Amino acid sequence: MLRLIFQRLLALVPLLFIVSVLTFSFTSLLPSDPVDLIIGDTGTQEQYEIVRERLGMNEPVVVRYFQWLGRAVQGDLGTSFFNSVSVTGAVMQRLPVTLSLTAVSALIAIVVGIAAGIAAALRPRSWVDRFATLGATFGQAVPNFWFGLILVAFFAVNLRWFPATGLTPISASPWEWLRSVTLPAVALGLSASAAIARQVRSAMVGVLQQDYIRAARAQGLPARRVLFRHALTNAMVPVVAVLSFQITVLLGGSLIVEQVFAINGLGTLAITAVRQQDIPMIQGLVLVMVALVVIVQLATDVMYGLLNPKARPS
Amino acid sequence: MTVQSAKEFKTARRPRRRLSASLVITVIATSVLVLLAILAIFADWIAPYDPLKQNLIEALQSPSAAHWLGTDDLGRDVLSRLIHGCRIAVIAAAEATTIAVLLGVPIGLFIGYRGGWWDWVVMRTVEAIVSIPGIMVAIVIIAILGAGLHKAMIALGILYSTSFLRLARGVVLAEREEVYVRSARVIGASDGRILLRHIFPNIAPPLIVQVTLTVGAVLLSEAGLSFIGLGVQPPDASWGTMLNTAAAFMDLNWFLAIPPGIAIIVTVLSVNLLGDVIRDAVGRGIVVGVKPQTPAARFETFASVAADSPLPPRREDEVLRVEGLQVMVSSREGNEVPIITDLSLAIAKGETLGLVGESGSGKTLTGLAILGLMGAGVRTTHGSITLNGRELSSLTEKQMEKVRGNEVAMVFQDPTTSLNPAFTVGSQIAEVLLTKKGVSKKEAWERVVELIHRVGIPRPEERARAYPHELSGGMAQRVAIARALSCNPSLLIADEPTTALDVTVQQEILDLFRDLQEEFGMAMLFVTHDLAVAADVCDRISVMYAGEMVEMAPVDALFANPRHPYTRGLLRAMPHASDRNPPLPTIRGNVPRPGFWPAGCRFSNRCDFRIAACDTRVPLVGTDRLARCVRAGELAMEVAS
Repeated sequence: MLRLIFQRLLALVPLLFIVSVLTFSFTSLLPSDPVDLIIGDTGTQEQYEIVRERLGMNEPVVVRYFQWLGRAVQGDLGTSFFNSVSVTGAVMQRLPVTLSLTAVSALIAIVVGIAAGIAAALRPRSWVDRFATLGATFGQAVPNFWFGLILVAFFAVNLRWFPATGLTPISASPWEWLRSVTLPAVALGLSASAAIARQVRSAMVGVLQQDYIRAARAQGLPARRVLFRHALTNAMVPVVAVLSFQITVLLGGSLIVEQVFAINGLGTLAITAVRQQDIPMIQGLVLVMVALVVIVQLATDVMYGLLNPKARPS
Repeated sequence: MTVQSAKEFKTARRPRRRLSASLVITVIATSVLVLLAILAIFADWIAPYDPLKQNLIEALQSPSAAHWLGTDDLGRDVLSRLIHGCRIAVIAAAEATTIAVLLGVPIGLFIGYRGGWWDWVVMRTVEAIVSIPGIMVAIVIIAILGAGLHKAMIALGILYSTSFLRLARGVVLAEREEVYVRSARVIGASDGRILLRHIFPNIAPPLIVQVTLTVGAVLLSEAGLSFIGLGVQPPDASWGTMLNTAAAFMDLNWFLAIPPGIAIIVTVLSVNLLGDVIRDAVGRGIVVGVKPQTPAARFETFASVAADSPLPPRREDEVLRVEGLQVMVSSREGNEVPIITDLSLAIAKGETLGLVGESGSGKTLTGLAILGLMGAGVRTTHGSITLNGRELSSLTEKQMEKVRGNEVAMVFQDPTTSLNPAFTVGSQIAEVLLTKKGVSKKEAWERVVELIHRVGIPRPEERARAYPHELSGGMAQRVAIARALSCNPSLLIADEPTTALDVTVQQEILDLFRDLQEEFGMAMLFVTHDLAVAADVCDRISVMYAGEMVEMAPVDALFANPRHPYTRGLLRAMPHASDRNPPLPTIRGNVPRPGFWPAGCRFSNRCDFRIAACDTRVPLVGTDRLARCVRAGELAMEVAS
């Protein structure tokens, strides 16, 4: 297992390198001149030159890239062009918010998706199956932010069960955190639940027809045990394979859902940065997100290896 | 296998209903999209008001006769804005998808065809882009290009081009080495011509499916981007910007969020459903109703067959006794068709009964019927199964679970599929011991090693920790046998246990069965299509055809003097090592599917000895040996002479 993790880690190096090149070169294409952005309209030519020198803009692009990369590797993602805060600091401050939202919605999606998928697969063509399949098709067509609005209207404005906006940090009050994270997480997790349910259903239907399921039953193992141990373990293999993709989608979706609930996470930071053409902030955000995705991928790869002995390096 | 033929039987009728269900979906989804297109094109004429015309006096009104869907914060008519939003949706979907296709497909074709360095660089770049959440990629591109509908759609086009690129590349890689492409190259076609004329047409079906997926995704993304203010800019009416407005006034007029939301859902749902239908059609070839097998002229219509077979004589040491078993399978139309009829047999301690016949004769299903594991849609309607003196049909599912493994166990045909790939083989045997016998983990493991050693596997401790895929077929079958014997069952059902194995391994496994039977003394029901195998391990052989027993005799008698024409056919079809030259005689035709059995003798349509009497039902007759043939006596004499 350690070997598998090591192999995957090694494979990540070129990926991260290419992402950094892409991010840096794309953001270098931004139309505005960062120096102008910083000194504003009233700046003199002299100030312009000073700032330009300070930003290292006089160096060739390649040199600037490696300087940026060198600092990024040490955790320094530069300074925002606008309020002179460190990008790392700003991102780290918002990260727990977005992470908790994404994690809770992933948890909801996995639990709901697996439960619905199994229920549907147990009795193909029954009303449970039809209902679940219909729900899954429908769930994938609903925009998460719209679902969020509806949840707010009903459960926050009308019933007042949950707060309509904001996200209380878990460290401040676990109970308030749970209350404030529920609606956005449900809104965000809906379409991922639907996708996972479809996956689980088709994997489970396939696995239940396998010889080893019948053989386990023939051996007199209890039906429940055969279902949850023998069938589910195998059905999870293809599901885990697409799980990291689903979580990546959730991470992206959280940027938009944050806006519905006025949650001050990475999404708000990203939208502000784009409006202000804040290059270091955009670069830093992309890198941090890729790092998150990569960690999720690594985790799902390990899980895949645990579930599927054939995928382990011998 | 009978189980398989039952499945075929079911699928054969499926297409018609499927076609009609998908037809309804197709019609509805297409109508929705056509309506969308009409609204988009004629928005200026259809919309009752100017979508941008403000009227602050009438702001935030509920639906009324004047404003069917009410008004927004600036008093603009929601219905008109919704209709104009259709136009934006159509433009957005068309723009982004076209850009994605035009960008992705040529690059994919090119790198797939050229391969090498180009391929490596582009694919690594694609992987990098895909590892960033899609919406973030779009946001970064919008940061460079600026906000607005067309710029946002270019961003989405670039984002979704990666999936078209991968699709085109995949098709090229698959087709590049196909014979027709190579021969085109040999006759000197240019690369461009090969790509365009020979490879490109293969992309069409998956491309269409991908387009539908992309259109749905673009619609949702556009709405999302407009919602956060990076797509369509106010005051223009798009469903996303309308929701942005609605979000700000959720506590004053929540209804504002409903019309654009429903519009998005219905549109995306239609596109996705249409995509599902297209994907199904592409995946399966175009669905056409499979013509059902024409029934035999005098086809058996009765639901049950009167049990007229002589019951096997009772014995003291009898382990299994089956009397007048009838099994039915339900068809798609809801009626039931017999799949096993009037089957009676008995097996004594230490005895092996062979169940022989072609695929589809009901052998495997007989074994599964004893275990009570026939699967959905198949059920026993008549007859009794007695195991160790206990009637199994009266047991509850919980009691049956106890019986399985403890009193009866089964070894399946393919050991590589009958062992669970996710667990070590040792743990799979141990699991049975732990749940059935309630022994300690340590004891279970000791017993596992002992069993694995007993079935002739060297280094048992090490092999117990292996996964099924790490063992050879023969080795895996030995493990499966060890598992079946772990609780010392009094009856072992072996379903073609050597068919999936190499010929050299087959003999070893057969020897193992004989040895183990001598040691454990269990009764065995040995299912096989191979008479040579049956001759090797069985004491008596029962020949099955189309769900019923046609002959039963001790092995030697059966081989020396077969009484049923079907048995004769099977015997003649056996290859003999000595004479290789004459072509192997076969029995013409196939076993008819359940529901299509001829009335009277079910073998009559394939039989060379058929007479008029064969058209009425033929009983199984005899005492020490049984045969179901009106001319059994004659045929016996013919062979003897």
